[in-house]
Amino acid sequence: MRVTNRMTFDQAQAQMMAARDRAMQAQQQVTTGMRVDHPGDDPAAAGVMVSQGIAIQRLDTIDKTTSSAQGEVQTADGALQNVSTLLARAQQLAVQLGSDTYSAAERSAGANEINSISSQIAQLMNTQVAGRYIFGGTKDNAPPFDASGNYLGDQGVRQIEIAPGLLQASSIRADVALKGAGGGVDVFGALSAMSTALANNDGAGIRSAIGGLNTSTDQVAAALTSTGGILSAFDSAQQIGSVAKDSAQKVLSAQSEADIFEATSNLTLAQQSLQASLAVTAQSFGVTLLNYLK
Amino acid sequence: MGADLFSLLVQSGNSLGAHSAAMSVAGNNVANANTPGYSRQIANLAANPGVSSLGAGNVGTGVSLVDITQARDQFVERQIPNALAAQSRSQTESDALNALTALNPDLEGGLPTEIGAFYSSLQTWSQNPGDPALRQNVLGSSQALVTSFNQTATSISAARTGLDSSILGKINEVNSAAQSLADLNKQIQIAKSAGGQANDLMDQRQAAVDTLATLTGATPYTDGAGNVSMALPGGTSLVVDGSAGSFSAVPDPANGGLLKLQLNRADGSPPTDWDGMSLGGTMGGLFAARDGALKTAADSVDNLAFNMATTMNTIQQSGYDVSSNPGVAMFSLPAGAGGAASQIRINPALTALGLAASTTTPASTGDNSNVLAMISTQSAPLLGGANPVATIQTIVTAFGTSAAQAQALASHDTAMASNLQNLRDATSGVSIDEEMVNLTKAQRAYEAVAKVISTANQMLDTLMSIAG
Repeated sequence: MRVTNRMTFDQAQAQMMAARDRAMQAQQQVTTGMRVDHPGDDPAAAGVMVSQGIAIQRLDTIDKTTSSAQGEVQTADGALQNVSTLLARAQQLAVQLGSDTYSAAERSAGANEINSISSQIAQLMNTQVAGRYIFGGTKDNAPPFDASGNYLGDQGVRQIEIAPGLLQASSIRADVALKGAGGGVDVFGALSAMSTALANNDGAGIRSAIGGLNTSTDQVAAALTSTGGILSAFDSAQQIGSVAKDSAQKVLSAQSEADIFEATSNLTLAQQSLQASLAVTAQSFGVTLLNYLK
Repeated sequence: MGADLFSLLVQSGNSLGAHSAAMSVAGNNVANANTPGYSRQIANLAANPGVSSLGAGNVGTGVSLVDITQARDQFVERQIPNALAAQSRSQTESDALNALTALNPDLEGGLPTEIGAFYSSLQTWSQNPGDPALRQNVLGSSQALVTSFNQTATSISAARTGLDSSILGKINEVNSAAQSLADLNKQIQIAKSAGGQANDLMDQRQAAVDTLATLTGATPYTDGAGNVSMALPGGTSLVVDGSAGSFSAVPDPANGGLLKLQLNRADGSPPTDWDGMSLGGTMGGLFAARDGALKTAADSVDNLAFNMATTMNTIQQSGYDVSSNPGVAMFSLPAGAGGAASQIRINPALTALGLAASTTTPASTGDNSNVLAMISTQSAPLLGGANPVATIQTIVTAFGTSAAQAQALASHDTAMASNLQNLRDATSGVSIDEEMVNLTKAQRAYEAVAKVISTANQMLDTLMSIAG
């Protein structure tokens, strides 16, 4: 081939520019750690970055939301355990004072204790988490129980997403657990029946009211089982979510991040080829007949 | 006439002229070594016919310059305009698409990020719908989403109007190149009729042809008289012999006020609308980027904004706010999807407490059923078909694919064009080494002929002294 000066210069220029471009791209990958900046760099990877990025964001938020709900349900669980302890004390009192060896004064003191247990339970059921009444169903802005144990909340069960598209109840129905809605006993009613029997020094009445307290204890124990169930659902959802997040993160990294070793070695390679191309170009410019014609 | 000393002097004088012409040609070649479109010229020398001398055969009568021709390879040259047009079209499109960063997957405040953040704020809100801070957060992320839609739309539309300015500039270049091609056709005809070779004018014409091809993808054709005319892709002539057509641009209301091309034909017929996408070269690349991938991206972002906001509005309006009033629309939108991304705003009537969390009335503060409905749209098909995440993913991937294709095409076309340029240079390019050799060759011959003259002169002197 006949080689002319413009060919030499144009090609040298094009090759140097290409070598510089490669060196700059390699440098950008090393400094940013990212393989994809513009969608055109790798269209499929860019799309995956978008969807996985949003998926990770969603899983992250679900994890945080679940943690907040978990806090509420744990508090509810603690409150119900206290209710359960208090009911056990009421049962113990009732069994003890049911024996006719106790005097009217002793039974009357027992009645006072039962009344205090009843109001303590009402207080526990008005537990708030961050200003929110957790036992009022969806009506969370006012105390769900008044001093006499009347339920003022609603029948709603709050729900949150614990995995994309998967809803989980995050509250228990206090009207079922404490007020016997749907065929149970009214815990406050049972306590008040016991208290009345004790105040009236009515031995037979006390013994027959114990049954109500037993059912109450069972009812609260059932509520505790469901809070336990909710908590374990949260736990496993968080574990599954964190696995899902890890794998989404892995996919995202694989698609978007530059392999730092590969990128560094590419950079070195690109720089060396740039240097070589500069050296060769400078040399080829120097070779001309003009140097020898004097 | 015979081989006498005087005729030796005369023919040597003529030969000196031929060699100095050869030196001029070499000198001109060296001077034009870097002139685009210049084809190396060759001085063709030929021995003058001999004359019969003293009955002993012919004696030569020196050398003269026959003509100066160009070293050109028609086969390669015919391929170059198409190659230049293809390279310039794909390179222009690739540059235009690569310049848009609004759809970068990692962009802070970009649509992917803000769509994710919007749904995150709903998710967080769903856990405690009565919390005023969480409500405010939803309002804030909705505002950020709206801003992101606005900015993405603005960036894409700025890229498209920016291409319009380039188109205007290129129209001027096309018109002046077309005019100069037509003028050169006329000048070459005049020069030829005067018997000249018009080498330099032909080089200029070739450069004009290359320019027009690079700008519009037009292809040259030569008529019997040697005029070079050019036809636009599709066959309509832009330049016919000595008359040139031209382009002009007017705003096109059907395309958001962007420019549309009009062709004023070489034959002087009234201007007609011309599809810019049908062109090749830089102009074609500009239109392809403007009305291709960028328009698709703009339209899909509009659709996404419209469908997502309409879906959200419907859900919000079917719920009840903290005061148990039906929710007001979240976003205000134009009537149709067109321009939705740039015109979408937060409904000014919407407040944090006005966000409708409940589906029942009277609304309980802890009722998040409507929030869950809003969250579910993240993975549910919108009006337009796919869910918002899949939609933005498709938008980014589709745009990226166009950009990557244009770029791959650009590298391929650049390699093709540069290969052809090299082939052309191999024939027509100037090699300074070669010209130096030619120059030295001519110089030596010149010196030798001069020596002949001085020898003949000495011989004449000798003769004169005898006669004296």
